[in-house]
Amino acid sequence: MTQRWRSLALLSPWLLTLALFWLFPIGWSIYLSLTDYQLFRDPSFIGIANYLALLRDSDFLGALENTFVFVLGTIPVTTVIALALALLLQHPFRGRTLFRAGFFLPWLTSIVVVALIFTNLFARGGYLATLASLLGFTPPEYGFLFDDRTALFAIMGMDVWMSVGYYMLIFLAGLEAIPRELYDAATVQGASWWRRFRSITLPLLRPVLGYILVINTIKSFQVFTEIFVMTKGKFDTATIVFFIYEQALTTDFSFGYASAAAYLLFLIIGLVSLLPFLAFARQRRSLW
Amino acid sequence: MVTTLFRYGLLGLVLMITIFPMLWMLRVALLPKGLPLTAETLLSVTVTGANVLALLDSDGLVRPFFNSLVVGGGVTIGNILFGFMCAYALSRYRLIENRFILFTVLAVLFVPVHIVIIPLYLLAVESGLYDTYGALILPFLVNPIGIFLVKQYLDGIPTAMEEAARVDGASEFRILFQIVMPMARPALVVLAIQVFFTNWNSFLFPFILTSRSDLHTLPVALAMIQGRQGIEWPELMAGATLAVVPVLVVFVILQRHIVSGITAGAIKQ
Repeated sequence: MTQRWRSLALLSPWLLTLALFWLFPIGWSIYLSLTDYQLFRDPSFIGIANYLALLRDSDFLGALENTFVFVLGTIPVTTVIALALALLLQHPFRGRTLFRAGFFLPWLTSIVVVALIFTNLFARGGYLATLASLLGFTPPEYGFLFDDRTALFAIMGMDVWMSVGYYMLIFLAGLEAIPRELYDAATVQGASWWRRFRSITLPLLRPVLGYILVINTIKSFQVFTEIFVMTKGKFDTATIVFFIYEQALTTDFSFGYASAAAYLLFLIIGLVSLLPFLAFARQRRSLW
Repeated sequence: MVTTLFRYGLLGLVLMITIFPMLWMLRVALLPKGLPLTAETLLSVTVTGANVLALLDSDGLVRPFFNSLVVGGGVTIGNILFGFMCAYALSRYRLIENRFILFTVLAVLFVPVHIVIIPLYLLAVESGLYDTYGALILPFLVNPIGIFLVKQYLDGIPTAMEEAARVDGASEFRILFQIVMPMARPALVVLAIQVFFTNWNSFLFPFILTSRSDLHTLPVALAMIQGRQGIEWPELMAGATLAVVPVLVVFVILQRHIVSGITAGAIKQ
């Protein structure tokens, strides 16, 4: 019994903070999403009316589409490049640490800073516009971020640039856990590089790949800061979290409506991130 | 030989692409105001520290820099203390409810944080925390990945020392903070770096939980400056540099710890 109390005493500051600032708000937002709560108006219960309204709201549906384009466009590219880089750095060679640190650098930089740098690079007559015209393309007249056709893709490109190094590090840690003897044995038996990759690396990397896909899915569906800094949601770049921010904290202060959007996104993330989880993370270790 | 050359060539190319925007930031930050950002000006030898100095002037980025340090420091110390206590309990007291708590900790790791934007904002407003340092520190004292990291480390430390101390009559408090905590230092360092960096760079929550400019952290201040009338790129890039340099310095010194912190969540052994 004393052990139980001692344990609880040690856990309580953490658990109380978690309950007050995270668990309670998560629950509260379900309730909010079922009300018409707005600034200066007391919430009254309206059932799922917010959800039904959202599904007919073209701003929301546009944001939903943009978010899916962002997620489906960035995750495969990021994952493939990150894996390729990790494979290039898998075995020790001179300069490996330098490359690893260099590739990881963008991730350590504040996303606001990255967004500011790229706003400059993407600007009208800026570095990338000049580069595009040198290569024979016509850059958008007012810069990449001021054009419906390019703005979202420009931001996606920046996001890939920023996250590749992070996922590469996780892949590398996964690769390091693969016993070297397996490769040696396979090489002795004359297995080609591709064969070793398919029969050793890929199967043993599955849990790590699953983890990477899940966390990247969760993160990418919530893209907000780069949109806020670079376009303020204009030029067809508004994502769902940007929509939530606009609805809840700018002109209307429609807390109920925005909460419903947040919950819809929550459900979408839950469903989508379960997919790779089911496909890849079958053998999970016991937690204890 | 050919493969080696190919490998270095490829890696070098990628490295150039990753480093280039950072070098661009530095170059523009050192450029005098009012010049067009053309190849001639960028490649010229003109260098000035005026932008950095201007930002350090009265209404510049000194206050946000200070705020970022205070908030980051507060959050980091809180996480070390709470996280260590929590991890110790989860590691040493194998009770049924602790198994459940550990599961909750892991589940929270996967909860999309956007879901608390509105309720956390409302909670901060209602409780009076809005526009205080408390709003920037208190909700972030719990970092699930930190708990996991430290618990794993403690699991690997034999309990013999603790038991010996207990036999000698040391109080549980002393055992916890004078015997176990120093032994857990490597894990706590990783936790501290991870938490501090995340906090130093975070934008969304500091942005929604404060409105007063004297409470802005660096990322929020930079995002706000961008919209200001008459601001020029050299000044903005100087501000960006100010936010990046401390991170770079710490990264160069503590690279190993940072890498192990990042990968701790992925590889559970």
